[in-house]
Amino acid sequence: MTTADRVSELLDGVKRPVREITSPEGVKLNVQTASRWERMTAFLLDVTFLSLAIILIYSVGLVLFFTRLNLSIGLTFISFVAFVVRNMYFLHFELAWQGRTPGKKICGIRVVSRNGGELTPTALIARNLMRDVEFFLPMTLFLSLGEQSGWSSLAELGWTIALTALPFFNRDRMRAGDIIAGTIVIKMPKRTLLDDLASAPRQRGEAGYSFTPAQLAVYGAFELQVLEELLRRKQTPRVDSILSDVCAKICRNIGVEEAVPPQNVRKFLNDFYASERDMLEHGQLFGLYKDDKNSPDRKI
Amino acid sequence: MRYGAAQGGKSGELTLRSAEFRAAREDGWIKLDRMVTRVEDGGIGVLSASESEEITLLYRSAVSSLSVARNIALDRNMLLYLENLTLRAYLVVYGPRSGMSGSMAEFFRRGWPRAVRSVRRQLAVIALVFFVGAAAGFMIVRADVENFNLFVSERMSQGRGPDSTREELLGGEIFAPWKGFTEMFVVFANSLFRHNTMVGILCFGLGFMLGVPTIILIASNGASLGAFLALHSDKGLALDFICWLSIHGVTEIAALLLMGAAGLLVAQNIIFPGRLSRLESLARAGHSAAVAAIGCIAMFFIAGIIEGGFRQLIANTAGRLVFAAVTGLLWACYFIFAGGKRRDDSR
Repeated sequence: MTTADRVSELLDGVKRPVREITSPEGVKLNVQTASRWERMTAFLLDVTFLSLAIILIYSVGLVLFFTRLNLSIGLTFISFVAFVVRNMYFLHFELAWQGRTPGKKICGIRVVSRNGGELTPTALIARNLMRDVEFFLPMTLFLSLGEQSGWSSLAELGWTIALTALPFFNRDRMRAGDIIAGTIVIKMPKRTLLDDLASAPRQRGEAGYSFTPAQLAVYGAFELQVLEELLRRKQTPRVDSILSDVCAKICRNIGVEEAVPPQNVRKFLNDFYASERDMLEHGQLFGLYKDDKNSPDRKI
Repeated sequence: MRYGAAQGGKSGELTLRSAEFRAAREDGWIKLDRMVTRVEDGGIGVLSASESEEITLLYRSAVSSLSVARNIALDRNMLLYLENLTLRAYLVVYGPRSGMSGSMAEFFRRGWPRAVRSVRRQLAVIALVFFVGAAAGFMIVRADVENFNLFVSERMSQGRGPDSTREELLGGEIFAPWKGFTEMFVVFANSLFRHNTMVGILCFGLGFMLGVPTIILIASNGASLGAFLALHSDKGLALDFICWLSIHGVTEIAALLLMGAAGLLVAQNIIFPGRLSRLESLARAGHSAAVAAIGCIAMFFIAGIIEGGFRQLIANTAGRLVFAAVTGLLWACYFIFAGGKRRDDSR
């Protein structure tokens, strides 16, 4: 588990299964697999959009054909269009929007290639052909229950339910289509680049806090990044009280006797953060990595 | 040595190496970010030719920034941002490049015939299953015409059965009256297409269940074909029936068998993954299987039009036979020769 994941787990309580994919350049990228809940929501949204589209096609078509042409041709034409729309909806959007459908876009998830290669049209075709068997077939079976003899329909139903429930039985939450196509669905929040805390502008002539190497050697990268997250939070009374607790604790641990006045807490922590990061990054340049306060320096 | 801001310096400011690193590259990241956002909102088409080239370069430099940053920087926000940006850019750069129409053209020119060639062994197996099913159906119904109902459901027989007379079969089926251009070409052809496509997709998808349902489906389709043949030969209409069926059946049955063969390829890679892991082998086979299968939808479309329209338009047995032979020959040539060199792999 990387330091970044430990920090998220501590502060936000999120624990997502992470999967590593290797880009063609050989860089490992950590991706979070989308949760089953997100995927279900995305799918239900898509089915809703699809149904709305088909209803729209039928109503527009019916109005048009009732007035102009004979009914059976009209109906056929409409059902052909609806058939095409139903079968091409997912494929079209996943091709045009880099592995996203409208529902996936809303949920912030997308399809990527499992081994880090290119996401090919054939992979998208494969995963969407399977969709018919995974979802639309069980639906038809379910609707036609009772038409056939009990045992055979029960067996079919059991089989398809097992297939549909496949995402619950593997770590990457792949459905049958994903397995065949070699894809996974990942969650991808969009992040923004914030200002660097260590180079925050300071008023001229203002004295900052300074620390000795011994004081800075107490903490490691994990604590540094927790501190960074806390400092980046929006200023509220609650965050302020957390910060002053943190400040008091740091002072105790590194042996700073004089108390930090409340109005200087942020400034103290900011300076401590900058100095700590300077030292840890300096160490990293020479191959010394300190994970957290409990672990010794690790040579990399 | 002391770390901290109070030790002097120009304005009392601490300059970290990672901050310098960031300052030097930030502009490129932000430019890349903007481009990626545009593509995410509007599709790959929003980039001009020079921009598509530029985005690749910017992506490569972001990748190298990320690997450096992982080694020298501890700024969590920057690391996460860079990782996120690289991933987003990676998905644009290595995402699907062509839309629907571009993919289609390439597909029919090369991808599909190659994929079909790559499932030829499975196709042979599936064809065997189909013909064994057909032979079984034929023999059993031949022995006793009453067995016809075992193989053909009421919905499928539409009134045809052991009790049908020769005249009924000839007038109501083989040389059924022409109901008018639109009724046949549009309405009937369309419903046939939709039905057949769904059956075909099932044949393929059920390969995932180790191929057992695929084989059952193909065999039972074969059996009902055999049953029909036996019924007609009982009334002395064997040749007429074969021609009536094969005019579109060449295309339709070929497509059905291809779908089944693709399903079988999937099943084969689940059961015998070979040297690869099961998942890996499945992902590889899945590609050529899916390509082979999706093209069959086009075949079903053509078969639907032939069955719905041309079949009753060409109201004589010899004409139908010629038509069937020509379509069969065309398909064979296309699958054997289109798309360049013989290759086992569609990729």
